[in-house]
This record gives sequence, structure tokens and C-alpha cells, in this order.
Amino acid sequence: MMKHTGNESRTFSIVRNLTLPVLLIVLWHLWALALPTGSPAPTPIKVVQTLGEMLGKGDLVSATVQSLGRVLTGFSVASMLGIVLGLMMGSSQAVRENLDPIIESFRPIAPMAILPIAILLLGTGTPTALAIVAYASFFPVVVNTVHGVSRVDRKLVLAARTMGVSRFAILTRVVLPGALPSILLGTRLAMGVAWTAIIAAELAVGAKSGGGGSGGIGQMMFVFYAYNIDLNAIVVCMTVVGLVALCIDHIFKMLEKRLTPWRQEI
Amino acid sequence: MSTHADATKLRLTSVTKSFLAPRTGNTTVAVAEMSLEIQAGEFICIVGPSGCGKSTVLNMIAGLDSPSSGRIEKDGQAITGPGADRGVMFQDYALMPWQSVEGNVGFGLRHGTPGQHLSASQRQERIAHHIDLVGLRGSEHKYPHQLSGGMRQRVALARLLANGPDILLLDEPLGALDAQTRLILQAELLRIWGETAPVSERKTAIFITHDIEEAVLLADRVVVMSTNPGRVREVVTVDLPRPRAGTARTNPKFGLFVAHIWSLIRDEAYRAIGGAASAGPASQQATH
Repeated sequence: MMKHTGNESRTFSIVRNLTLPVLLIVLWHLWALALPTGSPAPTPIKVVQTLGEMLGKGDLVSATVQSLGRVLTGFSVASMLGIVLGLMMGSSQAVRENLDPIIESFRPIAPMAILPIAILLLGTGTPTALAIVAYASFFPVVVNTVHGVSRVDRKLVLAARTMGVSRFAILTRVVLPGALPSILLGTRLAMGVAWTAIIAAELAVGAKSGGGGSGGIGQMMFVFYAYNIDLNAIVVCMTVVGLVALCIDHIFKMLEKRLTPWRQEI
Repeated sequence: MSTHADATKLRLTSVTKSFLAPRTGNTTVAVAEMSLEIQAGEFICIVGPSGCGKSTVLNMIAGLDSPSSGRIEKDGQAITGPGADRGVMFQDYALMPWQSVEGNVGFGLRHGTPGQHLSASQRQERIAHHIDLVGLRGSEHKYPHQLSGGMRQRVALARLLANGPDILLLDEPLGALDAQTRLILQAELLRIWGETAPVSERKTAIFITHDIEEAVLLADRVVVMSTNPGRVREVVTVDLPRPRAGTARTNPKFGLFVAHIWSLIRDEAYRAIGGAASAGPASQQATH
């Protein structure tokens, strides 16, 4: 990453980052100009109009909040489980050898592939959405935690032992901070896949319940696809999903900097 | 007889350590039949070619490793595991990268046994005192990666001393430093160890180095080890007057000690780098 010093370089960097998106929107608009009147195809102007209407009604915001709430809940549960299990697997060979085959055999099963069984067991509401999110975010956290623990400098553990530090304190004061950079990377990846999974889960649950009350932005997209067909609204939803993902990633990167200040200047 | 026993801080009796190579199944003897008595307040240096088991001896005294046979006793009690009464300073300092200078110096006091009977303010005082002692005031909030090698070494020394061990185990602590920093820190180490204090107030120190001059400068006795397997070749008593920091190097006896120790390990040192021992330039001086 380049560091920006003056105002000039910052402006330059913004311009550089926006060039391609702006160019694509312009192309999209030119393409829209060539469309016959009455075409349902999404155009930049109609998408912005639809966005305005949806924001006015307030349901776009509430659906987004609904989805985000589910992601945060499922992600938090899975992260805690993943970190605890990862620390145990990383520090005990017996635990690792028992859990590793189970985790590795579930890991290739995509979150969507457990949807049928989740719907049958948990219904089409929030519990299913949470289960999918938790399932999706568990694996990046646990795998990266184990990796992080394995890379903790053994000398540091020995040093702590010569200072009379208990086994438990070594885990929380040496192994955990030592593995933290890797754990944080795992949670950032997990949050990314969790957000992807919730949209897909809500889309699919929408299909099952026929636009019922489970809400969420994925469901909203499903409604615009299956009932009151509106391509512009779907594009609005897609854009919101993308922007939220971008924000989440940014927040996690800031969190990484804040929580691991000793790594900033490396 | 009883007073003599009281002063013996550490006693190694026929200590042997062998390792089993997991793949080949071969046994390597790292340390063979080592016996040594170390008095309270003594400064011992261990020198020897690489692979002579110096670090293994230190690890066993620290309790991080146990002898395959033989006995190690501290104050008459067998050593069964690590403890804060024996502080270790590791070769690469083993500082916690996520802790500031202050956090590293206070690590044992906050999370280990040494601080258990202290109040928070007493701990704080002790941490500040030891940061001052090694001259790091003003750098309390820096992280290890922001420090020079010499400063890191000071942090490790302050952490070691803040835990109040009665035995200091130092594994080539000055090895990675440049020559000038090394001279400064040797003098400082002697001061902190208690060179100017009466013997009863000194700590017991065991210091591993491959620098013979450093060993002669610091030690009351130099344990010269040979390799394959690691054995005590000779224990050289260095009776240069203390304090030594500024003056010892100019003492004619200093050079004689260095030459004598070099003569003991020269052959193996040459063999280790693949040269011929007989061509050693120091062979004449070593006959003193």
C-alpha cells in the first residue's frame, strides 16, 4: 500500500480509484440511450430514481438492517466457537487430531448445500438464516486460528513458562495475542462469506415461503424477481449488497489496525 | 562443611542428556556426565564450540528440559520444572511483539508468579525501577520492533531482573550486538549483577557465550566445554580483581586467560569450520 502524503496525491488517488467505475456507468448510460422506449432493462437514471423511492418508503433500509443483524449474530456465534476450538486444536495435538478430519470433511460442503436440511429442520425464518451464516463463517475462523497458533514463536511460550505463567495465562496472554493477526484475518474472511451466504440464503428461503415474512435484502430481491418484477430495484439491491460488503471489509481492516498496533509499521 | 553446603547454589551431578532423532532413530548425546558446583553469587561463563551442549545445560537448569540421567539441584532441591526463581534471557530476547517496553518488563509480574504478592502499585513501581535501571526511561510505550538490538536486549534484561530471580541464566544475550554496544552492555551487566557489591548480595549468573574475551571479562570461573559429546573440558578460575569493567582488558593476565581458553577449544573450533588445527596461529602463545 502506498502512503499518501500531500493533498495532491490523495486527490489523485481518488480520481484513479473512480475512473473505471465512472467510465462503466457512462457506457451503461450510453447503452440505455439506445434502448427502445418501454424496455424493462435497468438504466442508471431509473436505478437512481428507484433508489430514491425505496429509501423514501424505508423498506430498503429496514431489509438491509435485518440482513446485517442476522449476519452479525450468526458470525459472532461462529467466531467465538471457531476461535475457542481453534485455540484448543492449535495447542493440543489430541484435540487437533480428533477434530481436524471432521472439520476438513465439512469444509468443502458449501453453505447453500446445507440449506435443504436447515429449512426442513428449522423452517424458513431467521433460525435457518442464522444457521447458514454461522456455518459459512465458522470455517475461515477456525482454520486461520489453528494456523495462527501454529505460528506463535515457541520461544515466547518457553519464556512465559520461565516466568511462572500458568498454562491458562499462557493461552490467553501469549498464544491468543500471538495468533491474533491470523485470527483477525480469519474473521474478516468469515464476515465476507457470511454476507454472501445471507443473501443467497434469503433468496432461497424466499423461494420456499413464497415471499413470506422472513425479510432481509435477499428476500427483497426475490420479491422483485418473482412477484412485482422490477429490474431496476434488483440492481439497487445488488448495489446495496456490494456497498455493504465494501464497508464491512473496511471496518474489519480498521479493526485489525486498532487491535494489532504492533504490526502497523512492519 | 555445613557452611560450604549452604553456599552451593546449584549442583549438577553426572548430568547426561541424549536426544533421539525421530527419523533416523539415532541417539545423540548432547551433554555427557557433567558435574559442576556453582556457589551463590558466582558468575559462571560457559564457552565451547557450537554443538557442545551449552544451551542444553542452560535449558535443563531452567527446567525447560530434563536430564536423561543425573541430577540437578538448586539449594539442595531437585529441579523438576521451570520457575521464576531461575530467570532466563534468551538468545533472541523472546520479547512479546504485542507488548510495549513497559508491558514486556512487567509481563512476569502481571501474569506470572513473581508479582503474586504485590499490589498493583508495587508492581508498577518495580517495573518503572527496572526500566530506569537499564536506561530505557522515555521508551516505555514503544514496541519491540521500534527498538534497536541493544535496546531490546535491555528490555529483556529489565524483564529478567524485574522478576527477581536468584539465578540468572543468560544464553548468548549479547551475541547479536555490534562491538561497541556489546562493550557498554557488558559493563552494565556487571554493574547490575553486583560487581561492586559484596558477594552475598550478588546474584548467581550463568552466562553462555562463544566470545572468549567476554567470558574472561565477566566470569569468576569459565567452564570450557568440548563437543561430541558435550563434556566439561576444564574449569578455569579467573582471579582478575573486580570491578573489572574498565580496566581488566589491560591486565596482562587477561590475555593469558584468553590464550589458555582458546588453546583448549582451538582444535575443535578449527575442525568445526573445516580448517587444519595444526595451522592455528595461536599455538605458540597457548603454551604459557
